[in-house]
Amino acid sequence: MIQYCTILFKEFITASEVSSVCMVPKSSEGYILSCFYVWEGNMGSKLNRGNQDREVVLLCCQHCLNGEAKDSIWSLGAQGVSIRTIMMPCSSKVEVPYILKILEAGADGVEIIACPKQSCKFLVGSLRAEKRIEYIHELLEKIGYAGERVGISRKLSQSPEELFDIAKARAKAIENLGLNPMKGE
Amino acid sequence: MIFAEWKPLDELIDKLKSHNKLLLAGCATCVAECAAGGEKEVETLAPLLRMALKKHGCSIEIVTCTIEKQCEWEFVEELAEKAEEVDAIMSIACGIGTQALAERYDPIPVYPGVNTSALTIREEDGLWVARCAACGDCVLGETFGYCPIARCAKSLLNGPCGGTRKNGKCELDEDVDCIWNLIVERADERGQLESLSQMKKTKDWSNSRHGGPKRVIREDLR
Amino acid sequence: MKTPVGSNLESILAGDHFAVTAEVGPPRGPDPAEVIKKAEILRGVADAYNVTDNQTAVVRMSSIAASKVLLQQGLEPVMQIVCRDRNRIAIQSDLLGAWALGMRNVLCLSGDHQSAGGGGKLKGHPCAKNVYDIDSIQLISIVKGLGDDAVQDGGDSISPAAPFFIGAAWTPLGPPEKFRTIRLAKKIDAGADFIQTQAVYDIKHFAEAVRRAEDMGLTDRAAILPGIIVPRSVGMLKYMNANVPGIEVPDDMIKRMKDAAEPKAEGIKITLELIEAVKNLSGIKGVHLQAIEAEELLPDVIKAAGLLPRPEIE
Repeated sequence: MIQYCTILFKEFITASEVSSVCMVPKSSEGYILSCFYVWEGNMGSKLNRGNQDREVVLLCCQHCLNGEAKDSIWSLGAQGVSIRTIMMPCSSKVEVPYILKILEAGADGVEIIACPKQSCKFLVGSLRAEKRIEYIHELLEKIGYAGERVGISRKLSQSPEELFDIAKARAKAIENLGLNPMKGE
Repeated sequence: MIFAEWKPLDELIDKLKSHNKLLLAGCATCVAECAAGGEKEVETLAPLLRMALKKHGCSIEIVTCTIEKQCEWEFVEELAEKAEEVDAIMSIACGIGTQALAERYDPIPVYPGVNTSALTIREEDGLWVARCAACGDCVLGETFGYCPIARCAKSLLNGPCGGTRKNGKCELDEDVDCIWNLIVERADERGQLESLSQMKKTKDWSNSRHGGPKRVIREDLR
Repeated sequence: MKTPVGSNLESILAGDHFAVTAEVGPPRGPDPAEVIKKAEILRGVADAYNVTDNQTAVVRMSSIAASKVLLQQGLEPVMQIVCRDRNRIAIQSDLLGAWALGMRNVLCLSGDHQSAGGGGKLKGHPCAKNVYDIDSIQLISIVKGLGDDAVQDGGDSISPAAPFFIGAAWTPLGPPEKFRTIRLAKKIDAGADFIQTQAVYDIKHFAEAVRRAEDMGLTDRAAILPGIIVPRSVGMLKYMNANVPGIEVPDDMIKRMKDAAEPKAEGIKITLELIEAVKNLSGIKGVHLQAIEAEELLPDVIKAAGLLPRPEIE
């Protein structure tokens, strides 16, 4: 069964240029994943500048959001936190390069919003997320960035309010870190 | 596949600090298969380097490109346009690819981003194990399909040393099988234990790097 | 019948005496006085003395040099050679040199890999390039060629021949057990004259292995000398049992050491019992005694085992 996964960037990358599309056969599982890598010199619309808000990006598996959260386009700034959401077909589509590019673009924190381990629509998809996050933590620590900037929350049927709380919690976890040095380009 | 791993990031940052624009070049063959130098790894390393170098006060511009193979001139040529605009190239392909880029794009400095270290198979997801040592004198026909040159730390040819643990693993690494234990078991399964009782004579290492840098010509292909 | 090479160990065994060998580890330094000190402690208690070759990949005075010092002190060395650090060129060259200096016994080993160097206490040389050009069995065959046919590996001749009394190691109890006797046979076929084994504590299990060797006619062709390491504590026995491949310590021996009021004395008792047990095994021609960092124990042990004085052969 061939699953095509698309990444929909809402309000985050306005002038996105998908420069290249590649099909990567993943022979160990016997199915084909297609990965759309988005390359850009700059990541479209810059995140808020000249503003002390902590910018948290939520990478949301669309299957663990309730109707309201899924339908609304999220871009909100309140209580010192700026939040952007990016919808994903499954948390398994969250790859290490995406998170690093989001941090490179200036996000202070990134949270993966995923289904509980036993509830993944694609059976084992969401299990990979923790290991990828651990790997990202190792990489970040090697370049002097705190691993706390990246985390994961698992729950079904998240509402917009719950997403907001999660973003606030991530912002709180990194409040002593200072703004991401990649801001202010 | 040829196996490589990223060099420590400090080492890479040290080399790149003095440059303004870098081409980070990946390869879609061996190093992609061992998750070190393919497109995904290029797109992982590029933001990491930019972020790390920014912390060092250096706003280097990094452009990326992954070609099919860095060991074929036709593909290496595809980097020409991007190479023109940069003052340094970093290759995360194996040493062969890195040298191909260094030769083609001289005088632009080409830095290796990885350490090439073995010839491996992916035994399972996330597990690569060296299976061939490119010794130039293959004994697999006599050792029932297990290579003692690559898979025995002492490259023994006449049976196991005294370092086989009770559970059949090697005394040097509890995760590594004593390859001679496996060879003997398989020989026994096939009723051919006797074949291992003849002394295997001293090895001819000259067909590998030990004979000098290798250079092979095939007239039929010139 | 092989022409005697002029080795005392060889003469002792040829005379059907129960042989005794002991070990002298060279110092981690250039001072021959340290070798001489050990020589004095062990003078007269063994027929030949093994000199290790950068054991556990720790740099020590070379076995050829330390062997020469022993020889100058009137003790006969068994020069150990490992395959880890030298290729066939260097090894053959060292053998010619060793013979020139008076060595007549060599023990051929593959050698501990340098990644395990120092046993955790020393840095060792894990970054070194290793050699392993040949293995221990090929080495035995090379030594035999130098002696019997005055020929090097590959066919070039030497002149004159350099005959040695050739030793090899045997680990009878390591997996795959079914192959261990075959490997012993390979070593004897290649030219080994005497065999020193990994330390024995489980006599019953060892005896079974010796019987298999006997059935293959191996005990007539080469002299087997079981290794015995003097135990000093229950911790040492447990450690060896768990961590040293090829060493098996029976549970009741561990318990015995654990319950002993004086472990060191108990260790001596156990050593004497082991010596007595192997003396009575058919096919065993001697014993190889080791006391790790405690060589001073050996003279009393060997005496108490009734093995002194050592026979003197002209």
